[in-house]
Amino acid sequence: MHVTHSRRRRAMALVALAATAGLALSACSAGDDGGSGGGGDDDPIVIGVSLPLTGDFSEPGKGVERGYEAWAEIVNEQGGLLGRQVELKILDDQSNADRVVSDYESLIAQDGVDLVFGPFSTRLVVPSARVAQEYGMLFVEPAGAAAEVFEQGFENLFYAAPAVADDHYNYLADYLLSLPEGERPKTAAVAAMDDPFAQGTAYGLRDKLEEGGVEILVDEVYPPNTTDFSVIAAKIAESNADVVIGGSQYQDGVNLIIALQQLDYQPKVAAFSTAPTNPEFAAAIGNQTEGILSPTGWSPTASFPSNVEFVEKYTEIFGNPPAEDEANAYTTGQVVAAAVEAVGCAEQGECQQQLIDWLHENTVDTVVGPLSWDEAGRPSGAHLIQQWVGGEIKIVLPEDAKEADFIYPKPAW
Amino acid sequence: MSGPLFLQSLILGVLLGGLYALLAAGLTLYFGIMRVVMIAHSAFLILAAYLAWWFNRETGLDPMLSLVVTVPVFFLAGFAMQRLLVSRLKPLTLTMMSVLLTFAIALIIEGALGFIFTGTQRRIQLPYAGDSLDVFGAQVPVVKLVAFVLAAFALLSLYLLLKYTRFGRALRATIQHPEAARLVGIDTDRTAGYGFGLGLATAAIGGTALSLDATIYPSLHWHWIGPLMAIIVVGGLGSIPGAAIAAMLLGISQSLLQIPLGATWAQTVFYVALFATLMFRPQGFFGGRLAQRF
Repeated sequence: MHVTHSRRRRAMALVALAATAGLALSACSAGDDGGSGGGGDDDPIVIGVSLPLTGDFSEPGKGVERGYEAWAEIVNEQGGLLGRQVELKILDDQSNADRVVSDYESLIAQDGVDLVFGPFSTRLVVPSARVAQEYGMLFVEPAGAAAEVFEQGFENLFYAAPAVADDHYNYLADYLLSLPEGERPKTAAVAAMDDPFAQGTAYGLRDKLEEGGVEILVDEVYPPNTTDFSVIAAKIAESNADVVIGGSQYQDGVNLIIALQQLDYQPKVAAFSTAPTNPEFAAAIGNQTEGILSPTGWSPTASFPSNVEFVEKYTEIFGNPPAEDEANAYTTGQVVAAAVEAVGCAEQGECQQQLIDWLHENTVDTVVGPLSWDEAGRPSGAHLIQQWVGGEIKIVLPEDAKEADFIYPKPAW
Repeated sequence: MSGPLFLQSLILGVLLGGLYALLAAGLTLYFGIMRVVMIAHSAFLILAAYLAWWFNRETGLDPMLSLVVTVPVFFLAGFAMQRLLVSRLKPLTLTMMSVLLTFAIALIIEGALGFIFTGTQRRIQLPYAGDSLDVFGAQVPVVKLVAFVLAAFALLSLYLLLKYTRFGRALRATIQHPEAARLVGIDTDRTAGYGFGLGLATAAIGGTALSLDATIYPSLHWHWIGPLMAIIVVGGLGSIPGAAIAAMLLGISQSLLQIPLGATWAQTVFYVALFATLMFRPQGFFGGRLAQRF
């Protein structure tokens, strides 16, 4: 199903009008539906995207859509790319991997889009990146941090975030292992959802701590539909480990923390992925948040210059501040835009390889900080570590980005 | 498995089993009365949990006070649902068609909750959410204990109501033999309507008990309906004591099995019990004279 938005359509109509008034239309690629052909200098740059706007991933999918829309609006406001307006063509893949393949096929081959942006989630990123690879298209994606994305031999893929899942906790692992012998945590307990992303983050920290001599006392995996965490909590509480690591998404993290509180388990370090950065988190666990840690790829308060602008303009456009999905999508836009501006082209064909080569060799400043990539498209950074300090979640690691001092050991909850 | 961990898990299992027992009681009641498979039962649970959450957010009062309103409202809704929808189904295909009907109702409730309250996951913030009592070195979480007491109280009331009141006798007569019940002058249609209302009233209590210690979201009910269906089959369809005993046993087994097997495999205990029941004793292990006839 084609999802076109009235705002886009209006913009498209205006551009089409300008184009027909100003120049004779050059030959356009087949199947273009809005009169926006490729070729002319004033034609918009058309960017094809397929997103899960319905189905399992519809919530984050819509977040990514808002991020892309904000990016296009901000770019167009500032005169576009290479002096041309940008225009998004967004299809709905219904969270379906077969659908996403045919969507990108038709965007590239029939609609003749000039550029593509990636969809949401590992499950959809891998098949769509393969299509883009076949057509030699640059493929920058906002979500798909799991290891398997980078093990497919893609040369055209770039993940537009600071780090892959395994590296999210690197700053925390380094910090804990650098503590003097007497203070260093000696034992850890892990509980992770059976999900590649959640496990990736938790196991990244677990393995680094284990290498550093920390003993892993509990290592639990639970299915995504688990709602009762009392027994997992009982096992962790009985081990009385110094560190508790939760490979969580949201409700599981909250339920596990409350179950741990109920059993009066007091760890020195409590690190949970995703859940603690949710706006509902503090209220959900009764404001007993002090000292809880979470890695984050993006923070609305981070002071990277484009981030301040992004948060401000996004809030202006949508009436509420962006979240991480929106920011990752915006980052994708920034990465592609940087390559396009530097190389000076945006079309199918040779240009795409130039864009790919440029990104392999350069660093791009984005709302999540400067990004650069290895051969497989893995970003080279680590995530910021945030901690709940005085009722607010603040960046505590690394040293040079911190907003507050790291609290160790964690106060009782 | 160490002693303290065993005791702790046993206590948690008993608390979980009590909640399962109440949640399953309503479900087995519908089947007993009318051979209705009520897929929407757990959706009503979540609806009650949302109402409790909403009541607490708006008024700041204890969510359990919302029962004063939700129990009568759910009773009336159940009565209306039975009289206006379920009783219109053809008797011959009632069981099968009731699955479709109640499936639709479950989807409507889920959709409405998502529409009104959005898909954001909610949790009631209670001052005693993280508190616990120390019993022989094991911790008994206060919220779980409150939910358990609520469930036990509701189940006991339901049992006394069915066993010792005139209405209860009429309802049991309707369950056992509708024709004979009509012959002795019981208005079985009306009684069935009240029975359905009673089932939904247990959902109101169960949902409120659930909301005390759970993070809720509109599609949560799908996680509950499977285990609950398994419990009532194991307990013998239509038997409330059977459902309560089966719920307690399966709740405790699930908790204890998590220690050696982990959360993923412990969940299968419900389905293993379901298969075993269907193979060896299809009428259920407790009570369940009914199921033999159908």
